[in-house]
Amino acid sequence: MSCPRYAPLIAVALVTSCGLPKDPERTSEHLAATHELRVGFTGNPPWTSAAKAEPSGIEPDIVRRFAAQQGVHVAWVGGSETQLVKSLKEHQLDLVIGGFDKTTQWSSTAGITQPFAKDADGKKHVFLTSPGENRFILKLDRFLTDQMRSSAGQS
Amino acid sequence: MRGIPETPGAEALLKQARQLAWISIAYICSTIVMLFFVMAGSQALKTEMAGEFLSLVPPTLFLIGDKIGRREPNQKYPFGYERAVSAGYVGAAVALLGVGAFLLFDGAMKLAMREHPTIGGFPIFGHVIWTGWLGIAVLLWSSIPAFFLGRKKRSAAKVLHDKTLAADAEINAADWQSAAAAVIGLIGVGLGFWWADAAAAVLISLEIIRSGWSEVRTALGDVMDRRPLGILSKEDEKVPDALTDYFRSQRWVKDVVVRVRERGREFTAEAHVVPSIEDNLVDEICKAAEGACDLDPRLASVTIAPVRRIPDDVERARQPAE
Repeated sequence: MSCPRYAPLIAVALVTSCGLPKDPERTSEHLAATHELRVGFTGNPPWTSAAKAEPSGIEPDIVRRFAAQQGVHVAWVGGSETQLVKSLKEHQLDLVIGGFDKTTQWSSTAGITQPFAKDADGKKHVFLTSPGENRFILKLDRFLTDQMRSSAGQS
Repeated sequence: MRGIPETPGAEALLKQARQLAWISIAYICSTIVMLFFVMAGSQALKTEMAGEFLSLVPPTLFLIGDKIGRREPNQKYPFGYERAVSAGYVGAAVALLGVGAFLLFDGAMKLAMREHPTIGGFPIFGHVIWTGWLGIAVLLWSSIPAFFLGRKKRSAAKVLHDKTLAADAEINAADWQSAAAAVIGLIGVGLGFWWADAAAAVLISLEIIRSGWSEVRTALGDVMDRRPLGILSKEDEKVPDALTDYFRSQRWVKDVVVRVRERGREFTAEAHVVPSIEDNLVDEICKAAEGACDLDPRLASVTIAPVRRIPDDVERARQPAE
C-alpha cells in the first residue's frame, strides 16, 4: 500500500499531457491533411432528408456550418444505419447523422456527441461519431454545445 | 461494555470507528454520483465505480454488526449475537470475488474486441472540457481521503480486534492503487492509446479479485472456528499458547488442552484439564478461570472442563493441520 509505485509514471504523463486528448486513429490529422469531413447520412425527416444525393434538413445544416468553421468540405455518404455505423467503427467515416437521440442503440458501438437540440418529447438529439476519436469528438462537442446554447435547445 | 475488548480507551475508539464508517459511506456515495456523470465510455471508470459500490459493503456491515453484535444473550441466542457479522461477511466476500471476475471478463473482452473508448467533451460552467480531466479529478477526490481514512481504520481495527473494520481499511488502501491505475488509463487514452483504458480496468479487476479471494478465505475460516489469526498480520495469535502455559504453570494441573475461537471481536476459550488434586478443585478452577481471562483483554470467557483423561477428539487439537 502507501506510496504508489506509479507516482513517477503519473508525473511523466502529466508533463506530456498538453494537447490532450489525441485521436488513436488520427482523425484530426486526416482532416487537416485532406480537408474532407466524411459524413454518413440516413433519412429521418425533419432532422435529415435524404431525398437527394446531398442531404438537407436541420442536421446537414449544422454539419455544413461545422465544416465551414473547420475550413473543410463535406463528403456525403448515404446508407442504412447498420452500414453507416459499421463504417464508423472501421474509421471510414467521421460522423453519421439521421435523427439519433442520446438513448440510441448504437451508443455502445459508435461514439455519441453532446446534444445539439431537444425535441418536443424532451429527447436530446446527437450525432454518431467514429468511436474513441476523442480530440475530434471534443471539437465537435464544443461546436454542438454552442449550437445548443444559441438555439436554447430549439431545433 | 459488552462485545469489545477490555482495553482502556476501547469505547472511545469504537465511537471513532463508527464515525469513520459513516464518513466513508457519505464519501463513497458522493464519488459514485460524480463517477456516474463523468464515466463516458471509459471502462476503467466503470470498473472503478463498481469498486466503489463494493467498498460500501464493509463499513455498512461494520455498523450493522456493531449494532446487532453487542445485544445481550437470551434463551434463543444463549451465546449472544457476536457471530451475526460473520454470516454476512461470507456473502460480501463472495460478492467481491464475483464482481471482480465479471469486471476482468468485461475489460478483457474490450481489449480483445479492440473497442476504442469514447471520452468526449463535458459542458461545465459555460465551457466544454475533456471529460477525462473530470474523471481524473473525481479519482483524486475519491482516493486521497480514502488513503487517510484507511490508516485510521487500521489502527482502530487492531485494538478493537474487528475483522470487518480491518477489511474496510485494506480496501481503502487498495482504492488508492486502483484509482492511480485508472488515472494512468485515462491519460493513456488522452495520449491516443485506446487500449490503456481497458488495460487499467483489467489491472483494477485483478486487484478486486485478489482482495476478494483473501476475504473469502478469512470469512470461511472464521465460520469454521479456525484458530484465531492476527487482525492485520494474519499470523497465528499467541493467546492459545499463553493460555496453555498459564494452565501448565498451575500446581494442580497435570495436563491441559486449550482451544480458542473468535467470536466477533472477542475470544472464548475452552480448556480440558486433567487435575492432580481432588480437594478444593472447584475453588482452584474458579480462580484459574478468572486469572486466565486477565491474560488478554480480548478474552471474554474461559471455560474449564476437568476430566480424568483428555478426550480423543480434543487430544487431536494438539496435532498440526495436514
